[in-house]
Amino acid sequence: MTADTTSTSSPAAAMAVAGAEPPPRRRRHPHLLPYGLLLPAAGVLALVLGCPLIRLVIISGQDYGLRSLFTGVVGWAGLANYQAVLTSPDLAPVLLRSIGFCAALVVGTLVIGLAVALLMGRLGRRMRAAVSFSLIAAWAIPNVASTLIWKWLFQPVYGVVNWLLTQIGFGDLTQHDWTTSAFSAFTLVWLLVVWQSVPFVALTLHAGLTQIPRSYYEAAAIDGAGPVRVFNAITLPFLRPILGLVTILSVIWDFTVFNQIWILTQGGPSGQTTTLGVWTFTTAFSQNSFGQGGAIAVVSVVLLLALTAVYVRRLVRSGESI
Amino acid sequence: MRIARNAAATLFCVVWLFPVYWMVNTAFKPYGDILSTTPRFLPFPFTLANFADAVAKPGFLRDLGNSVLVTGAVVVAAIAVAFLAATALTRFRFPGRRSFLIGVLVVQMVPVPALVIPLFLSLKSVHLLNTFLGLGLTYVALVLPFTIWTLRGFLQGIPVELEEAAMVDGAGRGTVIRRILLPLVLPGIIATSVFAFITAWNDFLFAYVVMKDQSGYTLPVWLVSFSTSTGTDYGGLIAASTLFALPVVVFFALVQRRLVEGMTAGAVKG
Repeated sequence: MTADTTSTSSPAAAMAVAGAEPPPRRRRHPHLLPYGLLLPAAGVLALVLGCPLIRLVIISGQDYGLRSLFTGVVGWAGLANYQAVLTSPDLAPVLLRSIGFCAALVVGTLVIGLAVALLMGRLGRRMRAAVSFSLIAAWAIPNVASTLIWKWLFQPVYGVVNWLLTQIGFGDLTQHDWTTSAFSAFTLVWLLVVWQSVPFVALTLHAGLTQIPRSYYEAAAIDGAGPVRVFNAITLPFLRPILGLVTILSVIWDFTVFNQIWILTQGGPSGQTTTLGVWTFTTAFSQNSFGQGGAIAVVSVVLLLALTAVYVRRLVRSGESI
Repeated sequence: MRIARNAAATLFCVVWLFPVYWMVNTAFKPYGDILSTTPRFLPFPFTLANFADAVAKPGFLRDLGNSVLVTGAVVVAAIAVAFLAATALTRFRFPGRRSFLIGVLVVQMVPVPALVIPLFLSLKSVHLLNTFLGLGLTYVALVLPFTIWTLRGFLQGIPVELEEAAMVDGAGRGTVIRRILLPLVLPGIIATSVFAFITAWNDFLFAYVVMKDQSGYTLPVWLVSFSTSTGTDYGGLIAASTLFALPVVVFFALVQRRLVEGMTAGAVKG
């Protein structure tokens, strides 16, 4: 998941990098066998992903509340749900927060990830192994576990981070509760998500960097190019496809961060860390207003599609060569 | 220069490993040392009491069992279904093949949290809410796009000539799939199983929404509900988190390299 963020890779990603491939070689006896083989997969995907997706759009036009949940009787709401969502005083702050937080996460992850990837290429063997080990350790911890560890690290009174900050001389922070102000609560979640996301970005970019032929760098060195020029003229152009891929995946994952915010702040204090995902969830499951929750979910899907439109277009186009 | 680089790398390792180190450190510390205002940086005196405590907590073993059951079933079902689909996609050419592949890609782009509401209502209307079958089906669908895609990649790497030779010798299609394709694609199956395992094992959101009955909680839901109960026992909680994370870390370390390779293969053309 999931917003599971150990979602390590995706077919979309594999697709984007693999490009065109040769057609299957066997052409004999197509008949019904291949359809039979595909049937279970197609069935599960259609039932559990396809139908809900269509149903989401339907629900967003329905008056689906607590009563419908028990009676099964659902009335049509037309565009009332969308009207309620789009005129809600919560909409603007939630949107700004979601986009701003997503941007902060993507920038933080990419900058640190790229820096670490570049650093790895210039380290000795042992030091590089140590960095890889740290990355893999952080990447592998399930996000529910790391979120709970975060809670403990930043706990008022007994948390080690507050103690360290106090020792370093930021004043007495031992009693500080990170979830009481919007800014520090977001900082808390930001640190966690960046900590978990940098490994994927750093290791992927590092793998990309190692594929750039040495000879280009040697030629640049002979020509007397400085490090900045080498980076701009060689590293960046070679890395661009992977960088684009990693950016788009980060946007998708960071825009849909849910577990970490939900477990650490529940959207608080007083709704100030409520992002679109949290808003969807609380509208549907705390207020039992599934229609309105559906409308918010549709709005976020559309928004995410807009953010990633360029990439999706390229994906569908490259699909033509499958 | 070299010293500066090594210093930066060391600093990075310290910062990135600190949460993991602190988890392990806390898990092995006696309760009195956990709740001390001056933190202790080494788990001495050393104790296993937190683990004993976690295991003895109400629900832990039951929910561990739930997690193992659901995850195991999901891995087996997802791999079987994905293997059949990948065989169809690589060994046959038929109308609708490309649409299926594009469909798989598009489905993967949908933000998963948006599916929570309709999935919840759909499972409710077919009476699969609060059942392992409902939760398991959800997970299978979540991992299928990736598993189909990856297995397809592995199958493409196996020469068709091997199967053709077997068929010339009189083997049926079933025998070819079972005796030739399956053993050759085993490394791919292992890598994708680990992915399916991690997705199902780690999931919190769907388990939280689908399994409302306490007896059906999986381990992540148990952990979170434990952490929000009053007077959290951090020793037990962190020890339980460590137990929960352990299998993932082990499996992940085994296949991490292959996953990154798959991501970048051919992306940079030299």
